[in-house]
Amino acid sequence: MARITKRALAATAGIVMLSTTLAACGGDEGDNGDGPGGTAGKGGTLYVKAEDAIEHLDPHRTYIGLHINMLARTVTRGLLTQSTTDDPAPIPDIATDTGTMAAGGKEWSFTIRDDVKWEDGEAVTCEDFRYGYSRNFATDVITGGPSFYPLSFTDIPGAAEGAPEYSGPYTEKGQDLYDKAVTCDGNTITYRFNKSWPDFNLAVAALHFAAPYRADQDKGDKSNLEIFSNGPYKLEGEWDKESGGTLVQNENYGADDTGTRKALPDKIVFQLGDKAETTYEEIIADAGPAKTTISFNRLPASMFSQIGNEIPEDRYLNVASPFIDYLWFNTEKLDPALRQALAVSTDREAWINASGGERSYKIADSIINPNVPGYAPNSVWKDVPPSGDADQAKTILEDAGIDTPVKVSLQYPQSEGADKQAAALQDSWNSSGLFEVELKPEGDVYYTNIQKPDHDYEIGWAGWGADWNSPSTVLPPLFDSRANIQGGSLGQDYGKYRGDEFNKKLDEASIAAGAGDDAARDKAYQEGGHDPRQRRGLLPARERAVQLRLGLGC
Amino acid sequence: MLAYLVRRLFAGVILLLVMTLVVFMLFFASPVDPVQFSCGRNCSPELKKQTEKALGYDKPAVVQWKDFVQGIAVGRDYPDDPELRAAAPELVTECNAPCFGYSTFNTKTVNEEIAETFPISLSLAIVALIIWLTGGVLLGVTAALTKGSILDRGLVGASLILYAFPTFFIGLFALKFIAIKWGLWDKPVYTPIAEGGIGEWLYHLLMPGAVLAAVFMAAYVRMTRAFVLESMTEDYIRTAKAKGVRPRIVLFKHTMRAALTPLVTMTGLDFAGLMGGAIITETVFNFNGLGKLAVDANKVYDLPTIIGLVVLLAAFVIIANIIVDVLYAVIDPRVRLG
Repeated sequence: MARITKRALAATAGIVMLSTTLAACGGDEGDNGDGPGGTAGKGGTLYVKAEDAIEHLDPHRTYIGLHINMLARTVTRGLLTQSTTDDPAPIPDIATDTGTMAAGGKEWSFTIRDDVKWEDGEAVTCEDFRYGYSRNFATDVITGGPSFYPLSFTDIPGAAEGAPEYSGPYTEKGQDLYDKAVTCDGNTITYRFNKSWPDFNLAVAALHFAAPYRADQDKGDKSNLEIFSNGPYKLEGEWDKESGGTLVQNENYGADDTGTRKALPDKIVFQLGDKAETTYEEIIADAGPAKTTISFNRLPASMFSQIGNEIPEDRYLNVASPFIDYLWFNTEKLDPALRQALAVSTDREAWINASGGERSYKIADSIINPNVPGYAPNSVWKDVPPSGDADQAKTILEDAGIDTPVKVSLQYPQSEGADKQAAALQDSWNSSGLFEVELKPEGDVYYTNIQKPDHDYEIGWAGWGADWNSPSTVLPPLFDSRANIQGGSLGQDYGKYRGDEFNKKLDEASIAAGAGDDAARDKAYQEGGHDPRQRRGLLPARERAVQLRLGLGC
Repeated sequence: MLAYLVRRLFAGVILLLVMTLVVFMLFFASPVDPVQFSCGRNCSPELKKQTEKALGYDKPAVVQWKDFVQGIAVGRDYPDDPELRAAAPELVTECNAPCFGYSTFNTKTVNEEIAETFPISLSLAIVALIIWLTGGVLLGVTAALTKGSILDRGLVGASLILYAFPTFFIGLFALKFIAIKWGLWDKPVYTPIAEGGIGEWLYHLLMPGAVLAAVFMAAYVRMTRAFVLESMTEDYIRTAKAKGVRPRIVLFKHTMRAALTPLVTMTGLDFAGLMGGAIITETVFNFNGLGKLAVDANKVYDLPTIIGLVVLLAAFVIIANIIVDVLYAVIDPRVRLG
């Protein structure tokens, strides 16, 4: 996910949770409540709690995977959707099939079903999709969403530079340009792009930037916390940003025809604002609504000791997330040998233990998450033990003629947890006697600073997750210097990595993807991602989403 | 008296204006880029410019401040972009005077935000005030009247212990054990009087109100005790006693009146501070009051909300100060305003 916020959980985790809860929860008043692992029951109320407010309900402004999968997809159906199984292939939702790619990925067409309805009974039309997509271009109104993608890909003059000449449906400036780029022919919608977008089908299945929207329901910014549903649930009353809202069954939703939205509870009540600890205390106490409550938030590490005691093992889920935590090195400032020595001497186990242990993280061996097709373990980590190898690091430094101990600094966004993790890293490096590491924590200004082209930070922390199931949303946004380093910003290329060979591999991968050759695409990404290993950030930890399962009523 | 009030109110308005200007300048002097924060990480320079415009941060800080002050005086319409307003008038949000701004994060005017959160903070502050004043003054007077006894020492010791416990500890303890684990009290959920009646409203406010009041009560026990003891040593008390005035009259008419004067000052300022300062209690109990609104606004650098709250909370303190000064004159006949 482009949003780095740690509160954002994964698409995968969200889908697993959603399928689990919606399939297994009998609810507090339902006709079936067999307990954990019991058969699915229909009826009752599912309570969903979250610590933070949900910023957007508008599908085109929603970008957090957890919100898309745990809330938005219950009220918004798009062209395609993701499966609730492990199969990463998209499945048709309102489209009749998974779409047709043409012109080497520069054109995609989908045929819209005619039997899907909005909550007021009117049919969802091709024009609704065309209008919905156009909202992404109103960047002064529709903010916060993944509009970056349609803005840069759609075949509208200026789009390739990130400033399309179309300004959305409100001002209609450049409307004729949009009308050429996105067209409806009967029930068939066609999107035209200025460059190959072979993953478009994956993108629309994972994100909602191409979701349909009814023009007569559009109030711009005022629609931000409104829901006009075409999914199995609809909003009852109003949504309060701070406290949540209640979803009830949408009578105009037909049967579950995709196998992804069983919609068993009568109601889904979203209650926002309680601390995660409080929610989990209630779930453990297992009284009243807590029996059918789940939480958006991870089980706090301080409560791990209760697993197997107050928290039965069968009520606990540990779901992998698509996020990878990594450390980046300033390639302009640190010698390649020094970077390599730092990488191999890192005690990744200590870092993970300082973060709650294996229930929170596990060691990663690639910047590409194992859930993403095209993942392959990076061989550079094969001979490096999880606790680091100081001897190997010493040899590297000696061979390069670098005097020890080397003074370096680690910058990171400060929090209580991050302080502990940074201290563990510092210990692991300093204890080798090869380095003298200084910790330099920063507040929210960290993210602003690491994007400045002239920053002189040496080592920094970052995290990333794929926007959809493709390495194209990992390697290019992180390391393609052509896209990142421009206009006074480093983008996500915090380590200032400029690698022509690497960029060539990205181009090869893109061409292969446009030709439909997934094997060649993955090979190119792997070669690009793995080869210049000593110049890349190291990848020590993989984040997991830790969830407590439902109350006894589910 | 009227001239005094007008003078104080005028000074208060000037103070508020200066405060808003300072907050604007501090906000824009901060190294954190609120536009980057809002735009996210996949933010091209062009997209950043458009987000800056959408948030209204594309104008110089002083111009933004002038617009803000103008909005308070005559109201404003949002969005600011004239092109967008002309093309799509249905998107315009009217914000009548006194308009504190429009929060793009919460998609509503700051006035609406305040209207939603103010009753919660006010309710919480009133219940807490009643608890801490009743408990603090009663126990403080009791301790003073039984000075040196076991009861006095017990009350002073207990208040010291209570004072040492931070609010978040007491709050979390009450929530975790009394409400959730032992089930002795329902978990508080703010219920407006219009929805649940006074009984329901009060029931859900008692626990957070008591938590909020605890530290204040402990402080007021000690202060009341000290003030009463000090008053009891005054010559006029001795004289009253010597004249054979009944002890109850001595206590309530002479001792308490003098002892109450400094308490009134503190109560006024504490109450005003609580309107936006009950951050911990509101966060622990998930009461969406002004304090929690302020915390949330700070998290996302929501300048309009921050400024609106600064003005409102500062106004509370200024008004409370004026009321306290007026009350001085009522309680203490020696004080004359002018």
